[in-house]
Amino acid sequence: MIIVLAVICGCSGLVLSFTNQVTLEQRENQLLTYVQGPSIQSVLSGQEYDNDPIQDRFTVSLGEDDQGNPIEMTVFPAKKGDDMVAMAYASSGMGYGGEIDVMVGFDREGNLAGVSIMTHAETPGLGARIEEPGFTEQFRNLEVKDGVQLSQDGGEVDGISGASFSSKGVVSAINKAVDVFPKVKEEVS
Amino acid sequence: MSVVNEFTKGLWKEIPPFRLVLGLCPTLAVTTAAKNGMAMGLATTFVLVCSNILISLLRNVIPRKVRIAAFIVVIASFVVIVELLMQAYYYPMYKILGLFIPLIVVNCIILGRAEAFASKNPLLPSLADGLGMGIGFTLSLTFLGAVREIIGNGTLFGMSVLWSSYEPFSVMVKAPGAFLCLGVILGLMNWVSTLQNKRG
Repeated sequence: MIIVLAVICGCSGLVLSFTNQVTLEQRENQLLTYVQGPSIQSVLSGQEYDNDPIQDRFTVSLGEDDQGNPIEMTVFPAKKGDDMVAMAYASSGMGYGGEIDVMVGFDREGNLAGVSIMTHAETPGLGARIEEPGFTEQFRNLEVKDGVQLSQDGGEVDGISGASFSSKGVVSAINKAVDVFPKVKEEVS
Repeated sequence: MSVVNEFTKGLWKEIPPFRLVLGLCPTLAVTTAAKNGMAMGLATTFVLVCSNILISLLRNVIPRKVRIAAFIVVIASFVVIVELLMQAYYYPMYKILGLFIPLIVVNCIILGRAEAFASKNPLLPSLADGLGMGIGFTLSLTFLGAVREIIGNGTLFGMSVLWSSYEPFSVMVKAPGAFLCLGVILGLMNWVSTLQNKRG
């Protein structure tokens, strides 16, 4: 009885890990096309570029984390000719309902080109309004040498009323992205 | 002959959501458009056919005491395969159906056919049974989705089919519309069967 059940479970595990491996690449492509693609386009929409940022993506290494694993990040560059005019990369921050994944775009000087929310689990009607242009467009072409702050903390961005955790989550994701920008820029050039 | 019977019973006599009234969760939830209903139906058909085949082949190996556990493992594996494939090749539909793809595991039709049919019958009838039930389920969901899409949105498979001044009845694409539509279809089918019985 136990042997039969164990064998069935084992076979199922084998088949599933095989399927997982076979479809891995294709699933990543789909994510790039349907989730990250539109976000990248939106954050870079103010820039003039003529390449395909997804096609030209590359990974940069940002040192190691506490356990000594290398931290890698995918950067999506926007180029005009051979000249890099802007770049976008993903960042995340803790919101009210979990991680908020944000695509953050920077121009050459390190100012924000734009911000787009990719995935989140915030409350519909409240925190989920971080997706709306009324919130995200405030970050377009914003100077962020010392990071971004919400207006309630003396900064320049208005948070969403009733959703300070979600607004702070987005801001912390952006600040994380701002923090690594010098490193990324160094790797790129 | 019996193989043909096993196949056709799923199309009218025991058509899953309308006759067996099983698998109502996806029936009500994802049939907001004909295309969604069809995708859900096809995904379920795939799982149903595959699990029926495998369970029929394994029916003499699986001990009776743990049969339900074994069936669920088999069904769940196929569901995960469908989920991964859909994520890889049909991402927009994967986003629409969302949670309801993993929920195919608990669709009563699949476990029901495994328990009531595939575990007692040889390969060929089980295959026919799964295919018939699956196609019946797909047709039902597509039909329900089509009715709701036409009335609620004025379109069919995304194409406009009604005159341009048609005012969409948007309650039909929301949850109450699913119940209304399902109820009316069940009523009509019962009426047709009663008429047939009287004549017969």
